[in-house]
Amino acid sequence: MSDARLRDVFITGTGAFLPGEPVGVEAMEDHIGRIGGRSSAVGRRALRWNGVETRHYALTPDGRPLHSNASMTAKALRAALDDAGLGTGDLEFLATATTQGDYLVPGHAAAVHGELACGPMEIASHQSVCASALTALKHAWLSVRAGEAEVAATAAGEFSSRWFRPEFYEGTTLVDAKGRARVEADFLRFTLSDGAGAVVLEPKPRPEGLSIKLEWIDLTSLAGRFDPCMWAGSTFADRSDMRSAWSHAGPVAAHASGAVALVQDFELLKIVIRAWIGVWLEKVDTGRIDPARVDHLLCHYSARSLREEIVGLLESTAAMIPEEKWFSNLSSVGNIGAASIWVMLDAFLKSGRANRGERVLLIVPESGRAMVGFAMGEVV
Amino acid sequence: MADGARIDDPVADTLRKLALVFADFEQRLEATPLIRKLTRGRFELADYHAFLINLRQQVKDGALWMSRAASNIGEDHLELRSTLMRHAVTEHRDFRLLEADFVASGGELAVIRSAKKNVGSEALSAWMFHEASKPDPFGLLGAMFVIEGLGSIKAAPWGRQVKERLSLPDEAVRFLLYHGENDAEHMAEFEEMLRMVLPDEAVAERIVMTAKVTARLYALQIEEIGV
Repeated sequence: MSDARLRDVFITGTGAFLPGEPVGVEAMEDHIGRIGGRSSAVGRRALRWNGVETRHYALTPDGRPLHSNASMTAKALRAALDDAGLGTGDLEFLATATTQGDYLVPGHAAAVHGELACGPMEIASHQSVCASALTALKHAWLSVRAGEAEVAATAAGEFSSRWFRPEFYEGTTLVDAKGRARVEADFLRFTLSDGAGAVVLEPKPRPEGLSIKLEWIDLTSLAGRFDPCMWAGSTFADRSDMRSAWSHAGPVAAHASGAVALVQDFELLKIVIRAWIGVWLEKVDTGRIDPARVDHLLCHYSARSLREEIVGLLESTAAMIPEEKWFSNLSSVGNIGAASIWVMLDAFLKSGRANRGERVLLIVPESGRAMVGFAMGEVV
Repeated sequence: MADGARIDDPVADTLRKLALVFADFEQRLEATPLIRKLTRGRFELADYHAFLINLRQQVKDGALWMSRAASNIGEDHLELRSTLMRHAVTEHRDFRLLEADFVASGGELAVIRSAKKNVGSEALSAWMFHEASKPDPFGLLGAMFVIEGLGSIKAAPWGRQVKERLSLPDEAVRFLLYHGENDAEHMAEFEEMLRMVLPDEAVAERIVMTAKVTARLYALQIEEIGV
């Protein structure tokens, strides 16, 4: 729907922050630690599946934090403002995204604003898993679009490694009598890592260099039909029974019952992936997206991880975007949750691949409780 | 601002619409009380028995409506008629396997054989035979997409969950476990069947509508279990 009172919105700056040096496969467990002193039994399998070769951690091997989630997010935001030729003083609205902030309360945006130590502004904290990047983007986009802000930004950060330390699992039901961690918990330790990314939005393109005109942002939650698929805060067996939630059980009992660590239901994940594909096919079927008119696809999911039958389905329904149009830096920077899509966009715009007039599609699926987001833009 | 739909391949277009119907169907199934019990680890032997009893009717009818549909396919589509007949032959004894699973998991044969159809099964069965009785009932390809998709995508994972949760031997879960092989092959064969009747806008629409009705009634059948 177009309305003369609504303004066009452009991404005029991007920024990324990756802590420390790239960490290879062989050194990963030195950073996240070994549960009960044992090397993980599932780590290799997880790495084969997600295709990540190097990632970054904000924790040193001896457990010392190099940053906080808020400080990484603030660094990425400063980089994005700098890229746009602006400073913190120009920022009128900030929407942040994260899976788990430094504090339980208050929100991540307040922590990031605190790190920036700049003057008063409007803020909003968006919390979910990966797709919170796009819920926050939509908030910032609408804010500029409606004329509420001249300069808005969205910034996302993750400090996942902190949640993967052995003490989150040891002495809980997530570790069996022989000291082996449940696959549902251990797998994620080899999937997610740390970092932050940000983008700046304005009602006009930047004077020099490339901007992206954001055409639309669509988000679909299917939580009404699924139990949580990736979560923290409840036990594995009783995740749908709120009496088992950490907030009801209290922190000590919750830890013992394995309700504090991040876990994933892999059986459900297979179903949720098909649900994401269903939403995608609907976009194609209704004409919202014509795959042939997408020049670059930035997807927070690796094309290689899609199973053969899913690729087959996409091809036979004329809904596949050929792999050569996919841009991803997942294998070198790791899966950084909500921050991934901005770290990817930043690398894409700096790669020299983008040309004026080309259309860029961002897709962020989230297994949390079955959500998927899309953002369509044109390079200008 | 939409890109606008591209309609250049009627088979791909119909398959996409069918995949959408299936996605919605799968989500409805996930939210039914019986499947929730299975995925939440609260599935008991009585639930498995109720599942088998209620599936049996539809499995038994499946080959019958397919044969009836085949007998109503005209001379212009002999290849499709052959395909449906082959399908019917392959599947028409499957309900015996299901009965054997019931007995192997401690049920009595007389119980499953004498059980009545639930509300959803009645509606589904009446609908299938009604459609199959029409001349050239090509819409039923949509029903096959839904029901065979269920077999190739959902049955085996359900079977593994049932087996694990109830500590049953393989021979008590054969019907669910033996499905789900050759999914890619199924899909290729289905595409071929679509090519036998498409392009034809009215037929394409009927296929998608038949898939939608079948999916809703099938989900109703599962919803009714244990209610």
